[in-house]
Formats: sequence, C-alpha cells, structure tokens
Amino acid sequence: MGHDHRMKRRQFIEMGASSIAAASASGFLLGCAGQALEKPTTAAVVPSADAPRVSYFSRFGVDEGMIRDGLADALSRGADHADLFFQHRVSNGLQLEDGEVNRAYTRVELGVGVRVVRGDQTGYAYTEELTREAIKRAAQTAAAVADGPARPAPKALAVGAALPQRYTLDVPWDGIKPAQKLPILDGVNAAIFKMDGRIKKVSVFFADEAGAILIADSQGRLVEDFQPMTVLYVSCVAEQGGRKETNGYNVAGRRGFDFYSPETVGRVVREAVARTTVLFDAVPAPAGEMPVVLAAGSSGILLHEAIGHGMEADFNRKGTSIYADKIGKPIAQPFVNIVDDAAQPHARGAINVDDEGNPAGTTTLVDKGVLATYMHDSISAKHYGLKPTGNGRRQSYQHPPMPRMRATYMLPGPHEHDEIVASVKRGIYCQSFSNGQVQIGAGDFTFYVKNGFLIEDGKLTRPIKDVNIIGNGPRVLERIDMVGKDLVIDEGGWTCGKDVQSVPVSQGIPTVRVSSITVGGQGGTQGAKASAKG
Amino acid sequence: MTNEAMLQIARNAVSLAKQKGAAEVAAVARVKRDVDVTWRDGKLEKITEATSRGLEVRLYVDGRYSTCSTSDLRPEGLASFLDNAIGLTRTLAKDPHRSLPDPALYSKATPEGLSMADPKIESITALDLRRTAQSMEEAARSVKGSEAILSVTTNGYHSWSETTQVHSNGLEASFAGTEFSISADVSIKDDDGRRPEEGEYAWVRLYADLPDVAAVGRRATERALARRGAKKAPSAVMPVLIDNRAAGRFLSYLLRPLTGAALQQKRSFLEGFVGKPFGSDKLDFADDPLLPKGLGTRPFDGEGLAARRMPVFEKGVLKNHYIDTYYGKKLSMAPTTGGSTNIAWKLGPKTQAALALDVKEGLLITSFLGGNSNDATGDFSLGVQGFVIRGGKIAEPIAEMNVSGRHVDVWKRLIAVGNDPFAYGTSRTPTLVFDGMQVAGT
Repeated sequence: MGHDHRMKRRQFIEMGASSIAAASASGFLLGCAGQALEKPTTAAVVPSADAPRVSYFSRFGVDEGMIRDGLADALSRGADHADLFFQHRVSNGLQLEDGEVNRAYTRVELGVGVRVVRGDQTGYAYTEELTREAIKRAAQTAAAVADGPARPAPKALAVGAALPQRYTLDVPWDGIKPAQKLPILDGVNAAIFKMDGRIKKVSVFFADEAGAILIADSQGRLVEDFQPMTVLYVSCVAEQGGRKETNGYNVAGRRGFDFYSPETVGRVVREAVARTTVLFDAVPAPAGEMPVVLAAGSSGILLHEAIGHGMEADFNRKGTSIYADKIGKPIAQPFVNIVDDAAQPHARGAINVDDEGNPAGTTTLVDKGVLATYMHDSISAKHYGLKPTGNGRRQSYQHPPMPRMRATYMLPGPHEHDEIVASVKRGIYCQSFSNGQVQIGAGDFTFYVKNGFLIEDGKLTRPIKDVNIIGNGPRVLERIDMVGKDLVIDEGGWTCGKDVQSVPVSQGIPTVRVSSITVGGQGGTQGAKASAKG
Repeated sequence: MTNEAMLQIARNAVSLAKQKGAAEVAAVARVKRDVDVTWRDGKLEKITEATSRGLEVRLYVDGRYSTCSTSDLRPEGLASFLDNAIGLTRTLAKDPHRSLPDPALYSKATPEGLSMADPKIESITALDLRRTAQSMEEAARSVKGSEAILSVTTNGYHSWSETTQVHSNGLEASFAGTEFSISADVSIKDDDGRRPEEGEYAWVRLYADLPDVAAVGRRATERALARRGAKKAPSAVMPVLIDNRAAGRFLSYLLRPLTGAALQQKRSFLEGFVGKPFGSDKLDFADDPLLPKGLGTRPFDGEGLAARRMPVFEKGVLKNHYIDTYYGKKLSMAPTTGGSTNIAWKLGPKTQAALALDVKEGLLITSFLGGNSNDATGDFSLGVQGFVIRGGKIAEPIAEMNVSGRHVDVWKRLIAVGNDPFAYGTSRTPTLVFDGMQVAGT
C-alpha cells in the first residue's frame, strides 16, 4: 500500500496474470467499494442508441437533484469546470493451478469522484458513500482548488447525442453462471498438457468484468456507458533435459461469453505451447546496435513507448515531452502513419466515450510522417485552444482523468513481410513481449522481448529470448525504413501505467524494420556492427 | 472510522459467513486517509484528498476457497455479498491445501517500539503540504544553472491507514501506520533537443524524519543538470556499480522467485539452493519486519502470522524462502511469511565514492528503464542510465544503454557492498558492486 515515488515517474505497459490475480485478491489496493451490490443487470440498462436517456440513476441510488447539489458545491468557489464520475464495476476472476480451478476472486467497486478544474489546476475528492451529504462533502473538498465567487450549478442536466456502440455483447456475462465458465479453464489446461509432454505447469487466469459509468458536468451534460471486459491469461512452465522455460499467451477484449469459441481457445493453447517450447532452442541474443524487424501485432508496444506517451498532451503543455514543439514537423518516412483509436470494435482499449464524457474517435498522431495531433483531455485541449480528442481516461472513481492512449497502431505501409525479413543480413526479429517503459523527456524507451529469432542472411534462423531493446523515440521513428502491408491489432491483455493509474489499452503494427537500435543481449558484441541492406 | 468500529465490521463478516455455511473465514478491514498535493511551476497543479475503506473476506467452504472484496460495510449489504461469494465458492474444485494458518503462529501481542504511526499527522493540513511543495520548487530553482529548467513539479503527500484482521480460528489483531513523503522532479533542456528529467524524494514513517525540504529541491535540480549531454557508450563487459537508490529494483528480481508460489510452480531459479552457496559472500541480508520506523514494518503478515526476523542470504548461502501457509502445505515446508518487508543488509565499510575509486573503470547505474527478468531461468536484461566511472571518478552521463546476464552468474560477481543503505524504500539497498556485467550500447 506504499505510496511509491518510483511509480510516480514511470510510464509503462505490461501484461501478466500474476499482477491481475494479485490485484483481484486484494481489491482494496485498486480501490474497492460497494453500497449497492446488485450484480449489474447488463441487458436491461445498456443505454439505448435510439432514445438517449439516463438509465443509471437507480443503479447508483442517486437522482438529478443530488447531482445538481453536488455540482453546486463543486462550483462554490468559482471553478471553470466541475464533474461527478460515478462508477460501479464488478470483476469476477477464476484461477486454475495444478489442474484445478480452485480459487475465485470477486471485487466490487462503487463510488463517485468529484473533480473541480480551474485553468489547468485540479481539485479532486471521492467517496464510496453515495449519499447527498457525502457527495456534498467530497465536492466541497475538491472545490478548495479554487478561490473565487460561486458559480451557479446547471439548471438542468441533459443526455447528449447517442453514443456509438462499439462493444455490444451477443452473450453478456450476467446471464452466465460460474459453472459455465469453469470448462474454459479446464479445457485450456487439458489441451496444453495433451499437446506437449514437456509442459510441467499450467496456470490459467480468467476474468469477466462489468463496468457502468455515469458522468455529470457543470455544462449540464449527462453521459453514461457500460464497459464490459474479459481476459484469459495462460502461462506455462516446460522442462527439457533439466532446463526450465516459461512463457504463455493471453487474449482480452470488451467481449462476451461467445468470445471463447473453440477457435479462440485453440489459438490460445497453440500459441502458449509454441511460445514456451521454442525457448529450449534459444541461443543468446547479441548485444549492441543492429537492425531489428518487429513482427506484426504486439510489436505495437514500440509505438506505445516510442511515441504514444510522448504525445499525451499533458507532458507537452508542461513542456516536458521530447515531442513538445514538434507538431507539424516531419519525424518519420512519409509511409509512416500512426493513430490512437477508440473505435476498434470490441478491442480492450476501445471506448464509446472517454471518462470526461467527451466523444472518443480516432486521433492521428503521425500523418504521412508528419507529427499531427497530441492526445488531449479537456484541460490540455483548453490550454491549446483545441477540441478534446476523447483521450481523458482514469483508472477508477478514485482518480482524476488525464490524457491516455486507447488502441495505438500504425497503418499498413508499402512493403511485403518477406521482403522486410530478406533485407536484413544480420539482426533480430521480435515476436512477443512482456513489458515496456519510456522516459518522456529524454525520449529513451525500452521493450522486453520474450521470444524472437536471429535474422542471418535474410532468413529467420535460431530462436532468441529474454532480451530488452532500448532506443530513443524520435531517433527510432526516423529509422523505421520499411513498413509492411500486414497490420495486426494485438488481442492481448495490455495494461498501461502512468502516475500510478492503470488503464486497459490495445496496440498494433504491421511488420516493420528499424534500421538500427540497441539490443541488450548476453551473447557478446559480435555482429553488432552489421547493418541492413537497402 | 474508529479501530473499534473496524474490528466490529470484521467480526460481523466472520460470524455472518460462518452462519451462511463457511467452515473457516478470515476478514481484513482497512481504512486509509490520504492527502496528495502537487505543485508545478509556481502554482498548485492538483490536490486529492479522500478516505477510503474496504473489507476483504477469505472464505473456506466445503474444502473450497475464494476471496472477495467490497466496501459496503453495512450489515444488510454484507449479507447478500457473502451469499453470492459463498455460492461461487461452492462451484469450485476442492483444494485440500487450503486452510487458515496454524493459530500457534499468530501474533500474540503487538510488539512495542515499532514506531509505525505518527500522531503528528492530525495537525498537518493540505495547506501545509502546499507550502512544503512550493518551497521545494523555490529551492529547486535556486541552484546554479537553473536557467536550463523547463519545468519543476513537486509533491507533498501523507497517509494514515489501519488494518484490522479477524480469523475464525482465533485471531483478532490490528495495526496503524503513517507515511509522509516529499518529492521534486525537474525537467531541463539539453542541447540536442532532449529534455532529461530527474528527481529526488524522501519517504518516511514519522514526520520528524523528513529531510530538509530545500535540500530535496536543490538535489533534484543537481541530478537533472548532471544528465545533460548523456550519450550511449560502446558495448562491453565491465565492472558495474548500482547506486543504492536504484539497487532495490535489481534486488526485486532476486526476491520475486523466493516465494512459495514461485518455488511450487517451478518458476524459480533459486529452487534447490537452501543451504547452498548462490552468490558471493557479500550477498548477505535478512528480512526484518520489526525494524523500528521501517517502511515495510508490520507486526504480522497478511495471513496474521507473527512477524519475525528471517535470514535470507548469509555469506551467499540461501537460508530461507518466503513461504505462506498454502504453498507451505503444497511443498511440505513450514510457513515463514508470504512476502518481503524491510531488507536488512550486512553492510560494507566503504562509501560509494570509495567503491568507485576501487573499481577505477566501469559504469555507475543510477536508474533502470524497463527490462525484465525471467524468474524460472534467471536471465535478465534491463535498460539503464547512469555515469561512466573513469580513473575512479564519476565522469560523463550515459543513456540508452542496457545490462544483461543471468542471476546465477552475476550474484557470484558481487565483490562489494557500500555502507549506504537507502533509507526511503523497503529494500534498504547499499551501493552494489559487480565485477563484470554485459553492457550494451553502440
């Protein structure tokens, strides 16, 4: 529960069942709450696209009068903006270990956060007691950031235009009993052991989550959204000749029970086994600068770290990002186009609306090699005199929003996958990743490669594993000199951390070549001076 | 909410769950109040203030197990919550290894003199934190060379929290703790367009142990200015010093595979090393949950096991794993404790500067950037920044570099540790000196 200063300055991304399971086991660390503990009745309360109306007042036990009272107290010292963010999120986790689904985790979060904004200053407070008095108290605490005469609360609250419906579920989770979920975990476990005798341990973590949010602000806007999520993390340990290796695979998305088709489960099993057992053939990765080819899909981690965080507008309005002052300037080859997209259907990083109630669409970060648009929340948008881009997100009602990524990916380019691999005389090919991190101001970033291959004379040869790659954002973008046609949005369960807040994100990329970047292998520096052809 | 009220809530959860069919129950009630004030470039940036509370219940039902958490602390809300959770538990597979801990291992009485909670916190307001943050910024901007500063962000934070634990087989215990922290982060403009950022922080249990606010601000700027002109150096195998503030991260990769879960799940490169040499004789530390004023100090662990000092490595020989009740049963090992607290190192005689003199040529790592470590095999690869050591002196800054190796090899190369345990973290690491590590750069 420590307030860890090392975390405050970290911007990172990671995946892994252990962190999720740990969080679920002690939900209070992430913020758990609950007054109304009814399981969300998903089907009945999904906002209708046809007739905008508020369906969540009863879920939170509030009415318009209580909300307007809260807003009035939030504006009692004359702020520019105030909002109330109500959240009710129920997470159900199941874990299989040593062949049995023998532990479950349930977490209920319910509460309201009150934000008061004056210029770029934020006052924030929250409460888990959804009573008129408790909301007023939180609002008065948050209002301390301002010091002027009171502003009137909106006379009426109204629901705006209908939201897009990017994650409507065919088979919602609230109708699914635990006994129907257990076979997913048991099936994955049995299939993995059947597939390869070298597998000694399998751990499977499964979760479904139902999240409802209701946002009311000082302009009188009311917005609500229902945000489902599911994840399936599989991790294997294999043994061969006294040597152990571990790896896995995972899938996630804003999806329902129908997501776990035999095809999805089969893919998870095959990938988990293949990515683990290939490591027995791994040779030490080289150390030093060399050409690196990134496989289509989860290699989008490069974009998340090399440019994504640096394009979050809060760092730029503060002048602390290496991309501050670079809008409109060429930073990459003309075939490099990078977006941050809220609209990928059912993606883990998809949102219908952001956590400030602003419409969320597609933000173009790099347009034909030219730095185009930062990702904004309402504070940074106001600072720059622009419209918000729908990137204002938060971990929960316990946190104020800030500019965050959603699904960050590069659009397809002109090159063929095989042509890209064939162009490298001596380098590495990166296939799967566990985590990455960036320094916003210096621009240095890293990502950790769980498995990949050496490229020798234009061919993928021996596997490599456990190697960190480190580069500098703008310099690496300049060195992306080939981009494939084969864009893949990764289906993995990525979580992005920034200023101690975690949010779910997605990422993707076509096959790309970086002409030179530092590879942190253990295999000595031989071959480090080799370069790419073409 | 008072201690008595939280105790009552935990007791009620235990008795209610037993009524509803749980064979055994553990309930942990927590309440936390925190105030967090951020100041940036001459004005308030953000202030957050809140009290949160929650209840975690571990259920043992018909030989099955689950955990659930909520903050609905009203009796009627709790009833339906437990009904659902017990129903869910009954659908799971039986697990013969699940049970509450042996009551003989429970905490009998709270040890005296831990100095975990400071009543002074009652008299410190958000306005005080704001003034603290403001003076840190002024100090940060008073340093020579401060015209290169792009932005200064400072923070003042404190929290008070209380944990109350009730188990159906005879545990009722609680403890409270406070934390105070201050930090300053400074961004500066470098000639090549980079905007390096560095900072300084302090994090303590008792208010009086906070260092001089102005010194923290000045040190943040000095650290940031020292990053100017950072370059990548050539790849090579060389001696490496890890600064005491950064070394906790490196140590965490040694602690992670020491858990019972890692051992039983075959995810530990430390399997089979108990009683055998693993590292050099300089690898020598204990886990000390009873350290007065320690940031990891606690009278009992998450399972209610009474805290006690435990040797982890002695002269490079592994002495103990972190074993909780569940994995202890699976492994047929006696439980120790589920996780690390304060690490108490056997310190060396020398300062970091003296250690650099001994090394003569090498690398000083001042922070890690990303990277990871494979708990099963011990392979690691980590991004680093720091300084070149030349002629025994700290020389020019380096960035965008990486170190890699295998823990089983690298800890044998630990040739010295400093006399400088880092006070503002639980790892309490001194400067670590390794005589050869693969460094990747150009």
